[in-house]
Amino acid sequence: MQAMKQFITTDEKLRQLVHALSKNAWNIISAGKEGTNFIYINDGKDLVINADSKPTKLSAKEFFFPKTEPLFFYKKNHDGVDLLDPKDVLRKTVLFGVKPCDAAAVPVMGKVFNWDYKDEFFNRRVEQTVIIGMACSYSDVYCFCTSTGLSPESSKGSDVFLKPAQNSSYIAEAVTPKGEAFVVEFSSFFDAANENDVKLLLNSPKGPEKKFDANQVKQWLDGHFEDPLWNEVGETCLGCAQCAFTCPTCHCFDIVDESCGYNCGRRVKNWDGCQFGLFTKHASGHNPRGHQPERYRQRISHKFKYYQDKFGEILCTGCGRCTRGCPVGIDIAEIAQEINKRNSVLV
Amino acid sequence: MENIYKPELVEILDVIDETPDIITFKLKFKDPEYHKEFNFLAGQFAEYSVFGEGECTFCIASSPTRPDFLECSFKAAGKVTNAMRRLQTGDTMGLRGPYGNYFPVEEMKGKSVVFIAGGIGLAPVRCVIWNVLDLRDQFKDVTIVYGARSVADLVYKRELEEWKQMPSVKTVVTVDPGGETPDWNGEIGFVPSIVEKVAPNAENTVAVICGPPIMIKYTMPVLEKLGFKEENVITTLENRMKCGVGKCGRCNVGNVYVCKDGPVFTYKQLKELPEEY
Repeated sequence: MQAMKQFITTDEKLRQLVHALSKNAWNIISAGKEGTNFIYINDGKDLVINADSKPTKLSAKEFFFPKTEPLFFYKKNHDGVDLLDPKDVLRKTVLFGVKPCDAAAVPVMGKVFNWDYKDEFFNRRVEQTVIIGMACSYSDVYCFCTSTGLSPESSKGSDVFLKPAQNSSYIAEAVTPKGEAFVVEFSSFFDAANENDVKLLLNSPKGPEKKFDANQVKQWLDGHFEDPLWNEVGETCLGCAQCAFTCPTCHCFDIVDESCGYNCGRRVKNWDGCQFGLFTKHASGHNPRGHQPERYRQRISHKFKYYQDKFGEILCTGCGRCTRGCPVGIDIAEIAQEINKRNSVLV
Repeated sequence: MENIYKPELVEILDVIDETPDIITFKLKFKDPEYHKEFNFLAGQFAEYSVFGEGECTFCIASSPTRPDFLECSFKAAGKVTNAMRRLQTGDTMGLRGPYGNYFPVEEMKGKSVVFIAGGIGLAPVRCVIWNVLDLRDQFKDVTIVYGARSVADLVYKRELEEWKQMPSVKTVVTVDPGGETPDWNGEIGFVPSIVEKVAPNAENTVAVICGPPIMIKYTMPVLEKLGFKEENVITTLENRMKCGVGKCGRCNVGNVYVCKDGPVFTYKQLKELPEEY
């Protein structure tokens, strides 16, 4: 196998790298401490590099697909309206310590934002960002990356991927040309790794046990649009959409106008969620997905069937946030397991 | 940066009250060059903006054969459409489009066409009607069956008269029983039974149908009885949309995005979709 370009760096050097980036006016975002969120940092001592940490509450998607993104500004005048594009200049950004389940979501979302019409709001953020992913040795009952075709060491979506080695050092793989350019630009913090360095790598994390077979889930979904299962799972759902908001791959959005006074304002794209009753409701009152079971079916089907039909990938990376945060304890992996069970009964 | 969400500005050239709550706008792009370049096909839709209120999705109700202006018809039902109702001639709106697929007018050439519409469902059918009528000699028989709840609810009244006067078109207008006025001289009855009565010949004929779900539900068996094949019955779907370009994730019916794969579907395609529209 053609080895990826490998480098060696240390905890200390990465903290110094933060300092150098900060001096060069980069935006530096680090995974937060246990149970918190991603944070903007300027100082190396605030960098959280911890393969054992629990996934952040919100995924990293907001740095590519913000909760609210202005699309344009309008200003009414006596003979019409002026429309102004957002003028913000994005700073080069580096995201430190992104878990494989978060990093992998970026190219997955990239598919929907780039088929046919291209959403440059998403693309320009991806272009400006270097994702430094890191192997993950955390695993709890909610994690299921191994059931979605990923692993705790998947470098999918990362530009540079860190694997912990002995003596607080890391083997850094330059996964993409952008990642390689980054390592070259900041070469004083990365040394080329030799064979002996690679030997220092810690044992690969095992990751969560595989809980279900995603292909079989799709097979079952292909033939079970109507099924009693949807009532069983949908009836407990409160429709709060925390699953969609914390999900690294959920990308549905609303477009609304926000006026400031009568004459000016902006149009924004906001996060939305398919579990909301108003999501599909027509002005006439008709609602194609009028009940929670139908909306829950949409969520599961979009993740494991529709996205695969359309883009060849499942819309889930197994981070487990939807389940971890669900106020009524709906477990997506458990539902997928149940589907697997029903599928095997059929076969 | 290319901004797919930024509309072009249009000016309202005329406001036509169709019914007490249905209005037609005649629109023209403010940039004459853009107007000249703007091409669309019958059945495509657009996103219309009122700045400060939001965006709304309707079909383009005018025909591509009449490129001098665009028309849209809407019912004041929600936030944006109620804001649109307050606009006047000369006001500025935004328009993004055209989006989605279109009616197969090219393939319909050389065939007979029967148009069946109910209520405001005439709007998306009307663009095909004018498209066909403007190229009248390329089609065989043309029949129009249009119904509404009452005489007051009929839209495009002046055009209904115009179509009735045309010798090359068979136009039948009906209102639901009880919706007639003392001087009403059209049909009285629901659209499905009128279609049965008019009985267009199914051979080499395409049916274009749009209206409330209940009308479509009861008209389909009639068309089947008349011998129409499912692939020769074409309709247009409406689902709530925001982006119009296959991103925002709400208009899907199963794995089909109405905004990209539709809004125009044959009845055959529709039957293969899950019932989620």
